[in-house]
Amino acid sequence: MENLHQITHAYSQAPWRKQMYMIGVILLVLVSAAIIAGIYLNVTARAAAAGRQIQEMQVRIYGYHNLTADASGSSLPIEELEQRIANLTSQLAFLTSYQVMQERIKELDLEPIEVTNIEYLQVPGYVDRQTTSLAPPPEPVVVNASGIAPEFKESLFDWIAEQVRITARYFSEAKP
Amino acid sequence: MRKYMADRVVPAGRVRRKTPARDIPEISQPTNEKAGQTLTGWRFNLLGVLFFLAGMMIIIQLVRLQFSPERGEFVSQGDLYSRTLHIFSPPRGDIYDRWGHLLAGSTLVYELGAQVENVENPDTIAFALSKVLVGHPEYDYPGYYDDVFAVIHSAQISDTAYVQLADFVTPQELDQLQDWSRNYVNLPNVDYGKAGRPSLAGIVYRPRLQRYYPENELGANFLGFVNREGTGVYGVEAEFNDLLAGTPQSIWISLDPYQVTEIPELKAGSDLVLTIDREIQAAAEEVLDQGIEASGADGGVVLVMDPNTGEMLAMASTPRLDPNEFWNYAEVFKDKTPYNRAVSADYEPGSVFKVLTMAAALDAGVVTPDTEYVDTGSIYVGGINIHNWDWGAWGPQNMEECLAHSLNVCLAWVATEMEAGPFYQYMQDFGFGQYTGIDLAAEAAGRLKIPGDTDWYEADLGTNAFGQGVAVTPIQMVMAISSVANGRGEMMIPHVMHSLVRDGFQYTPTPQIMGKPISAETAATLTQMLSDSLESESSDALVEGYRVAGKTGTAEIATPTGYTGDATNASFVGWGPLDNPRFLVYVWLEKPTSSPWGSVVAAPVFHNLVERLVVLMDIPPDGVLQGLSNQ
Repeated sequence: MENLHQITHAYSQAPWRKQMYMIGVILLVLVSAAIIAGIYLNVTARAAAAGRQIQEMQVRIYGYHNLTADASGSSLPIEELEQRIANLTSQLAFLTSYQVMQERIKELDLEPIEVTNIEYLQVPGYVDRQTTSLAPPPEPVVVNASGIAPEFKESLFDWIAEQVRITARYFSEAKP
Repeated sequence: MRKYMADRVVPAGRVRRKTPARDIPEISQPTNEKAGQTLTGWRFNLLGVLFFLAGMMIIIQLVRLQFSPERGEFVSQGDLYSRTLHIFSPPRGDIYDRWGHLLAGSTLVYELGAQVENVENPDTIAFALSKVLVGHPEYDYPGYYDDVFAVIHSAQISDTAYVQLADFVTPQELDQLQDWSRNYVNLPNVDYGKAGRPSLAGIVYRPRLQRYYPENELGANFLGFVNREGTGVYGVEAEFNDLLAGTPQSIWISLDPYQVTEIPELKAGSDLVLTIDREIQAAAEEVLDQGIEASGADGGVVLVMDPNTGEMLAMASTPRLDPNEFWNYAEVFKDKTPYNRAVSADYEPGSVFKVLTMAAALDAGVVTPDTEYVDTGSIYVGGINIHNWDWGAWGPQNMEECLAHSLNVCLAWVATEMEAGPFYQYMQDFGFGQYTGIDLAAEAAGRLKIPGDTDWYEADLGTNAFGQGVAVTPIQMVMAISSVANGRGEMMIPHVMHSLVRDGFQYTPTPQIMGKPISAETAATLTQMLSDSLESESSDALVEGYRVAGKTGTAEIATPTGYTGDATNASFVGWGPLDNPRFLVYVWLEKPTSSPWGSVVAAPVFHNLVERLVVLMDIPPDGVLQGLSNQ
């Protein structure tokens, strides 16, 4: 006890040890803080860089283009490609519009057919022209009977029989 | 001594310990060291207090700001610079005819603006835009150059980042501007004087889609149009605006890279497939225009319906507006002219209404085709004398002859035989005075006065029987007569939407029946009567090789001072082929001048259209069909 007291007393009375201790603690805190700050900075810097990249991409998609920039580049965003496709579809529709087709008919010197010039034939299996189909019809909702829980469809006797079957299987499997 | 020495020999580090030695006098610290420590402690304390006070002040200021009156202003300023509002509009759905021809699609247009800090020469920008955008009515005015220059100049003064200069710029116009821009860049580096080096630097653009109608005026009356704000106006565009437009989303996008906002995946608008047949529509419009030109009518309507389903195959009306240039609306539709007469204009139909009077009487069992009526040339109903169209007396007439000769007196007698209650019940069952429910915007309900209304008089029963004193729309007439034309007595709700394409699936609603005002037997009997009456009168409506049924109509036009004989509404309704009805055609010519009679001006329109219809719809002549079925 005396020794312990002496040791404690001795250390408590050594200022350089106290200073070293304090410096050590402060350094430990500083180094730890620096490590945490470094990791934090690294992660946040990467997050910021990724965020900026995303923002740049968003600006490229939804933002403005410079007049002098080449708009026909290969790296167009999907939205702009879809806009161009819609535009081309409309142009194609114009080129095949009724008015344009009538002009082409005139150029080709064709005449609309009269009812008296038509010869009708009976074609077995002929299917009349169907209205356009742009997409498949919705799938019918089929109620799968097997999806209904047994509790809602079995009788009491069915349930007892099933329980007996399960119990018997359990004991048969338990045999060595 | 040894003990003393032992006590004195201690490690160097323990020289300055404070433990008092029993035999050794206490070594006290020097006074100046104590003073130094006190001085250092005082300075540290002072520094600590200063730091504490500074921290406290910051905290107090932060708390004060939270509760200060300027808080809202600070927050809004922060929001202003930390995020921007973007409205994302999905592409508008396309509209197709029944065979997949695009009737309404989208085309690329550009919004043009200036990023002010990059602008080198506002003068060049103003000049280029004023020369290139001459095709736009809104930019084609003498002061446009000055306006553009002033906008950029004021933006430069006020440090504005961006100003919009033009919208709805076409790809061709943008190409032209890009060519100009490239040419300016390649100019030699010489002194350009006070005007400065020409440059379009700073101009930016953004693409987006705008509604486009590749068929131009074709079908414009039922399609409607989309205005500058992207909202559908009239017709299908207005009726299905919510479906076609999709769901625009407004999103605040943060400028903070740590708070990147996800751009939502926009749900595109639904596509529509209409029941309209583009070729039949074109034929109907051509035939109507020819009919109007030949008759000198003010305007007109031609409707083609499949009476079995209520599908509208064509809906032609005048005048027509090119929906790509909807800003000409006021020039085309003057004096409250409806955009689509077929659904929005009600009128007194005249004798075509007799089809329904006769249908009601036959169905109620009041008359049969052989019922005879002696026409004396007038009938007294509700205090007024009703006369025939020729003011003549036709003598004994059966019901078929009454229809064939379109005798007002006979039909007024039929209505009085029915009595008001049953007659008006039938007319209500036929849907008059109510909306048909057609899927087009701006439908009118018409007006059917019934007993009990303050403005209904007993005489109305007599005049309503031959289509006067009742206001109906052409689409109401078509719906009512579909019950006769399809031979089932079922009245089909007219519609133009065949199917809806959404989320990758095509939904096709089942045709809806509005009601069954008459029996199938009545419908068959009346069809036969009207077919025979057309043939007996050698009507201009007849089409060689095909049996059709129909009825003409001529109605005087009501004015504030009574009916005028100077102007009429000429109509014709017909359907065929009788064995398997495929089409129901309704013709209305407003105020024809070459002749007032429907039989003269409207019946030929029906004839001309049906001649083209049977080819377009692949309908063989009755004889051919009979021959083929006998094989």
